[in-house]
Amino acid sequence: MLRMRITKRQEPLGIGGSCFVLLTALSLSLLVSAVLLYLGGTSPIRGISVLFQGAFGSRYALEDSILKAIPIFLCALGVAVAFRLKIWNIGAEGQFALGAIGATWIALSFPAWPKFILLPAMIGMAMAAGGLWGLIPALLRQKLRTNEIIVTLMMNYIAILFLDFLVYGVWKDPTSFGFPMTPGFSEQAIVGKIGATAVNWGLVHCLVLGTLVFFFFRFTRIGFEIKASGDNVRAARYAGLPYDRLVMLVMVMSGALAGWAGFLEASATVNRLQPSIMVGYGYTAIVVAWLARLHPLSIGIAAVLLAGLRVGVESLQLDLQVPAAFGGIIEGLILLTVLAGGLFTHYRLVPRKH
Amino acid sequence: MRVWKALLAVLLIGAVNTAYGADKEMKVGFVYVSPIGDAGYSYSHDKGRQAIEALPGVTTSYVEAVPEGPDSERVMQNMARKEFDIIFATSFGYMDPMLKVAKQFPKTVFMHCSGFKTAENMGNYFGRMYQARYLSGMVAGAMTKGNVLGYVAAFPIPEVIRGINAFTLGVKSVNPNATVRVVWTKTWYDPATEKEAAKSLLDVGADVIAQHQDSPGPQEAAQEKGVYSIGYNSDMATFAPKAHLTAPVWNWAPYYTKVVEDVRKGTWKSEAAWPGMADGVVDLAPFGPMVPKDVQDKVNAEKAKIVAGTQKIFVGPIKDQNGEVKIADGVVATDPELLGMTWFVEGVVGTTK
Amino acid sequence: MTFEIIIALLAATVQSGTPILYATLGEIFTEKSGVLNLGVEGAMIIGALTAFIVARFTGNPVLGFLAAGLAGSLATAIHGVVCLGFQGNQVVSGLALTILGVGLANYIGTGYVGMSAPGFQPLAIPGLADIPVMGPIFFQHDPLVYVSYLIAPLLWLFFARTRFGLGLRAAGEYPAAAIAAGLNVAAYRWLGIMVGGFFMGLGGAYLSLAYTHLWTTNLTAGRGWIAVALVIFAFWRPGRAVFGAYLFGGIMALQLRLQASGTQLPSSILLMLPYVLTVLVLVLSSWRKGTSEQPGALGVNIEPVD
Repeated sequence: MLRMRITKRQEPLGIGGSCFVLLTALSLSLLVSAVLLYLGGTSPIRGISVLFQGAFGSRYALEDSILKAIPIFLCALGVAVAFRLKIWNIGAEGQFALGAIGATWIALSFPAWPKFILLPAMIGMAMAAGGLWGLIPALLRQKLRTNEIIVTLMMNYIAILFLDFLVYGVWKDPTSFGFPMTPGFSEQAIVGKIGATAVNWGLVHCLVLGTLVFFFFRFTRIGFEIKASGDNVRAARYAGLPYDRLVMLVMVMSGALAGWAGFLEASATVNRLQPSIMVGYGYTAIVVAWLARLHPLSIGIAAVLLAGLRVGVESLQLDLQVPAAFGGIIEGLILLTVLAGGLFTHYRLVPRKH
Repeated sequence: MRVWKALLAVLLIGAVNTAYGADKEMKVGFVYVSPIGDAGYSYSHDKGRQAIEALPGVTTSYVEAVPEGPDSERVMQNMARKEFDIIFATSFGYMDPMLKVAKQFPKTVFMHCSGFKTAENMGNYFGRMYQARYLSGMVAGAMTKGNVLGYVAAFPIPEVIRGINAFTLGVKSVNPNATVRVVWTKTWYDPATEKEAAKSLLDVGADVIAQHQDSPGPQEAAQEKGVYSIGYNSDMATFAPKAHLTAPVWNWAPYYTKVVEDVRKGTWKSEAAWPGMADGVVDLAPFGPMVPKDVQDKVNAEKAKIVAGTQKIFVGPIKDQNGEVKIADGVVATDPELLGMTWFVEGVVGTTK
Repeated sequence: MTFEIIIALLAATVQSGTPILYATLGEIFTEKSGVLNLGVEGAMIIGALTAFIVARFTGNPVLGFLAAGLAGSLATAIHGVVCLGFQGNQVVSGLALTILGVGLANYIGTGYVGMSAPGFQPLAIPGLADIPVMGPIFFQHDPLVYVSYLIAPLLWLFFARTRFGLGLRAAGEYPAAAIAAGLNVAAYRWLGIMVGGFFMGLGGAYLSLAYTHLWTTNLTAGRGWIAVALVIFAFWRPGRAVFGAYLFGGIMALQLRLQASGTQLPSSILLMLPYVLTVLVLVLSSWRKGTSEQPGALGVNIEPVD
């Protein structure tokens, strides 16, 4: 048997090589999925083609995938900001909920404000609420050294139940026959669609915010300090960087971005607040941010791909009666193979000499 | 003359087309909120789907575990674009998305379960489950020794509240001193939590457990404690043969068949349909062997009255938990009142918040 | 509340804490070796399904229980391949394992919904079960609860008193130093992942064989995530994990009993209690302590170059 040995590359793998590895990983996961499909009695070729058709194969499919990618992108962008400093914020889900709550509060309180005042006010409150929800674990971490992973995770559950509390209680629409939903937003509180497409203006928000975050890390001093501190906390402290303040800053930014996503979901897609707004984008965001190595552009691509996968799986169900759980299997396999393929960015396999 | 021939030909083709239309191939789609493997609510709808799949000239498909927000809108749009003739969406949260999609696809028939909105091409429907709940309450009220009954409830929405109220009215019709204690789990299928909720009710003295979730967790709790239980959705007797008294159950096949046939014949009209026991959509599972004959007879007699339409269940005077009269003496609650029920009747211990 | 209800509450606390306890101890074992595994939920649910299927077809719940452990190990081995073999990021790999595991279990498990399997029944321990107060709380449960009593002290002994345990901790604290000292760090990390996965699988089995005797999709319902949080809460100590799991399970059981007793508090607020209190207790204990006992190299892969 040929024994292999791992050696470090002098230079990281170039773009062409990376693409090759990525494609190999994707093919491998699709191959395994195809075998599973075959075992389940579905034609694997048909299955994979239906999956792609459903995800990106038509204008509608493409629009749907982009639409679903918007909240994932913003949450992932936020998560990536915190991860740059190696602050493990897994609370995007809760910050998203608080953003939706904040935006809804403004939308319900001042429905008659003109659009150009109301929407910015909703965004502002969403960012403030999401940012505050992110600030709490940062403060606890700094003052009491509590671990942010557990605090942000627990605060996700608390935020979702708080949303429930409002929607089942004080904010319940009196005309909804007792069902848990707020009244619908006024026309002014709704972010509209771009032209005749199904995609809303949130896409433009994403482009702007993604660019801003990119420039923030590329060209500002604070952005540089965050990266430097993330790479080496001790050295950064030694160099006199305000580490504690940076922690608070990234958590607030992180929360504000997730909050913005919550605002868009409430305003543009649901047009009201209801418990079903929470579908786990905050957790998906962690995967997306990591796969994209925290880079805004890559986050965009990863978000659209993952959203597309989820959209495509619905076609798989509808056309070929493949159970919903199959989507999780493909997603898990893709993540694992792509992750494993990352080895070849910095290392290579060479035959072991005897 | 040629013109007439041509016209005749057109008419003939038209006639053939119409005749063909009568047994036109129908594509029917279902949207479920949970996986059909939930053994409960979605599963019971899927049984109905399987029944219409067996009809000649009907093909069906479904998408399961669809969240109630924008995802459901996309799924329904997708179905409509793929030229499904009828789309059934079986959870409350699908109402607004369905309304949006119905406007975009006026030729498709949309059917929404458990809501209250309709459109030209969108009907809504639900089953009068409360009728079966009432009967199950009668059984529970007759079987309790300590006059405390436990009800493991899912989410405080009108459907669940209405069920608890009907159950309680059924209990009190045979046992005026009994009270019904409610615990909310905020879950539809988390067997461990639901079982724990049932145990918490057993701890405070409940000796019959009813439930409104999809898992048989509460049934197990009752059996282990050696007390009785009332199932839900489908016959849960296999999970707790010694405890299971009966269960209010869904049977969607007759209703779904009717809708499909109506659409095929072109006689379908948008309406708010609320079929009940008389239509076979809801029923009571067979009684367990421990239910005495006289109780069975009494319940069956009441069931006959419900089917005949003489027992309406929510007939005043009905007081709420504070003793305030909510439905006046002799008045029958209207369907909108039942649909939007957010208060507990007297005899329920718990909160609707 | 009467005395009996309090006893019943505490007994319920032990029971609802047990599946989380198994999983938490498993994750502690894995993290001690320096590997962060966020795939607990995935390993648990695969364990739950395997336990159910094996018990159903062999008629023997003990076999089901053990098979669940093996299935948990197999599931987490995927994490090992990706992180130890291919240097994949541990956070993403764990999340992916959860997604994959839940998908796989629901995919395969759909056919088993609504079936029943032989499970474990309560078994009072003679002598101990009759002790007032303590007996009904601790010694009138199913055998799997008693097994869980043994695991925490055994783990403590393992970490504190055995060479293997020391090696495992070294792999998690100072892998570079451990390698220099001639330890096979990769092997220790594999051990950490596989044994941890074994316990996670057992936690899943508790849900399908003892707590309830049935299988439905999403049976674990997020308990794996609670376990991940409780590891940090426990400062990576088995003893504190017992406290954390029972605290969490206890508050859950308590809020249900408050509802059953007729409280007027909204259910959303009551359901928040377990999470709020977990954070509060963590804050209080961090306050007193001031340091974290996180394994030094947690989540950091070892360079594979030889």
